[in-house]
Amino acid sequence: MSRLSSLFVTVLLSTLCNPVSAHHVLGRPAYSLSEDSNTPPSMQVETQIGKYSVTIVAFPAFPKPNEPGRVNLYATRIDSGALFNGQVTFRVRDDRLFADAPELLGMQTIDDGVYRQGFVFSQRGDYIVSAEFTAEGEPYLIDFPLRIGDPAPVTLIGGVITLMGLILVLVNVTQRRRMQRMRAQRHHTPDSDEHE
Amino acid sequence: MSMSNTPVVNFTWNGFICHSPGFVAHPGMPLGLGITAALLMLALSFIILRSKAVGSPGVGLVIGRHLAKALAQWPWIQVVLRVLTVAIFILVIAAGLFGTALPERNLATTLTWTLWWTLLIIAVFFTGSGWCAVCPWDALATWLLRWRWWRRGSDLSSLNLRVPVWLRNVWPALFMFIGLTWLELGVGVTTSPYATAVLALVMVVLTLASHAVFERKAFCRYFCSVGRTIGVYSTVSPLAMRPIDAEVCARCKTLECYHGIVEVEPCPTHLVMGRINQNLYCTSCTACMQSCPYTNVAWQWRDARVEAAVTARPHWDEAWFILGLLTLTLFHGITMLPPWESWIRGLGAWMGDKGQLLWSFSIGMAVSMSVPVLLFSLCMLVIWRMMLRGHDFRRVFATLSFSLIPVAFAYHIAHNLTHLLREARGFMTVAANPFGVNTLPFTETERHQRYLHPLLAQDAIFYLQAVVVISGVGAALWIWRQRLLSLTGGVMVPRFQGGMLVGAVFLLSLGSFSLWLLMQPMIMRM
Repeated sequence: MSRLSSLFVTVLLSTLCNPVSAHHVLGRPAYSLSEDSNTPPSMQVETQIGKYSVTIVAFPAFPKPNEPGRVNLYATRIDSGALFNGQVTFRVRDDRLFADAPELLGMQTIDDGVYRQGFVFSQRGDYIVSAEFTAEGEPYLIDFPLRIGDPAPVTLIGGVITLMGLILVLVNVTQRRRMQRMRAQRHHTPDSDEHE
Repeated sequence: MSMSNTPVVNFTWNGFICHSPGFVAHPGMPLGLGITAALLMLALSFIILRSKAVGSPGVGLVIGRHLAKALAQWPWIQVVLRVLTVAIFILVIAAGLFGTALPERNLATTLTWTLWWTLLIIAVFFTGSGWCAVCPWDALATWLLRWRWWRRGSDLSSLNLRVPVWLRNVWPALFMFIGLTWLELGVGVTTSPYATAVLALVMVVLTLASHAVFERKAFCRYFCSVGRTIGVYSTVSPLAMRPIDAEVCARCKTLECYHGIVEVEPCPTHLVMGRINQNLYCTSCTACMQSCPYTNVAWQWRDARVEAAVTARPHWDEAWFILGLLTLTLFHGITMLPPWESWIRGLGAWMGDKGQLLWSFSIGMAVSMSVPVLLFSLCMLVIWRMMLRGHDFRRVFATLSFSLIPVAFAYHIAHNLTHLLREARGFMTVAANPFGVNTLPFTETERHQRYLHPLLAQDAIFYLQAVVVISGVGAALWIWRQRLLSLTGGVMVPRFQGGMLVGAVFLLSLGSFSLWLLMQPMIMRM
């Protein structure tokens, strides 16, 4: 059982430790990159959706609360490579259970081949940013998650471990008391018989 | 490692996240094969309707005596297997909490939903409730409470309270199953590694709390929806843990299997091996094998239909669990139809529902689940009024509900075959990088590679699905016949053929609907 307890302690320690994050790309911190940088940003996704090839890039790579950021969207037709020229609506909602209705971030028209949408988040958390546009009568909706600030899984793990520890301690203490009470009752019963 | 280290942008394709004409859907069974399978089901129903055979408990073939003996002598074999599953389980939780948010690149989502959950259902047919023997939730909770690998725990390890009478049924498991399905398909837990890990942790806490408060393993018997699903499906598994010689059990007065011995736990679900007549609550924990002084417990290979048709005793709550299992299984298929999303969006637009459309989804789920329940209840009412008025309606309902098990099980297996054989390709790449460090979303090429190259030839998958559904409906009809006979005391009452016809129409409709679902394109999960 000592092995199990060592394993338990190791898992506990490893989950409580939050390693240092160092985002270095070519010797420079990744979070200092901007769209003007000659080093490509790391938050990027390219995908094909319907008749369009869509690229979404978020700046900075790891946005923080109260820091301005931006989402750039590029959409080109797969068959001809022609740029989509219309209007793109950006919305945002919390990426969690029972999220509120999405909030409008803004509606953008094309600017030098790109749809740019700025944002500032005041609170840390996980969000879903939606980009919507209509092309040839067909609606397109692309969602991608955006994490603001660092995640805090330690809180969850800590909470779960605390809860489990609490259950174990409570059960143990309650059972000890019950057994002591039962022992005392057993001890007490012959005495009372003798008095009778 | 934290998630912010990884260059990740998630792009989720399923559920309500991406609404586009660009989704990838698995092809459905060809029309010709679907129609042929439906005709074969019809032919089979005629044969069973005209059959004169009467089911009997029969005698199964005893197998695995040596393995049973080895497990009894060396409990460490099982401990090693449990350590292995717990290690993988901890890795899944770590990957979900600290790994990439991309579901297709994270071990938590791929192992849990693409491999484990799909394979588990298929494996139940061959291994019965074998999974419960190595279940990591139970193993972790038991080890934490008892601080022992396998021996019987001390009195301090649990309050050992009796489960309140109103909780001694499978309603809690049914409600938990409905809740899990809602989380899975409505909230989209299957596409979130983090949520998958949280769900896994919640299950461990629930198991621990139940084991800590109630005697034996009340969670396994009454609350665990996975365990009860396995239990219900293993009713039609050819494998069962049974006495080698029933006479030995009949003579036994000490009932070590039920009470346990100094070192070995009693049966965690209050079963007596000598009286066991259904797999439903057996967790294959092997405690009975270890405690039996006569080494009289092994596995039995038997006619898979016998338990549901003859030996299992009907109960009202279990009947509803079976019905719930059928409806939830079919509902899984419905939500993966390409138009499902537009139906829910349409409903959401009509209701003014926004965000994740959870209200619209919940209504869609309630409607989808209500239809089979109402139809089955209607059939029961017709049969009860037509030929069984002297019987308690609830008993008729519970007795005939056994026939739904093979239909639900067959569709579940057929549906999961698509997930397993079409979506599990590339799992080893994820296993090699379980946290998905420095990975990017699936490219279109990868998606199409997966689409074009399933683990088994496409036609073979379709034929397998057709065979499974036909067998399920055939078994269901046979069970319906035996159960109807049992209600009439084995006598072909005047309206017996009418009762058979009602059953045949209902079960063939379910089988045809299963085939229709399999003939539709199915949206790729991740």
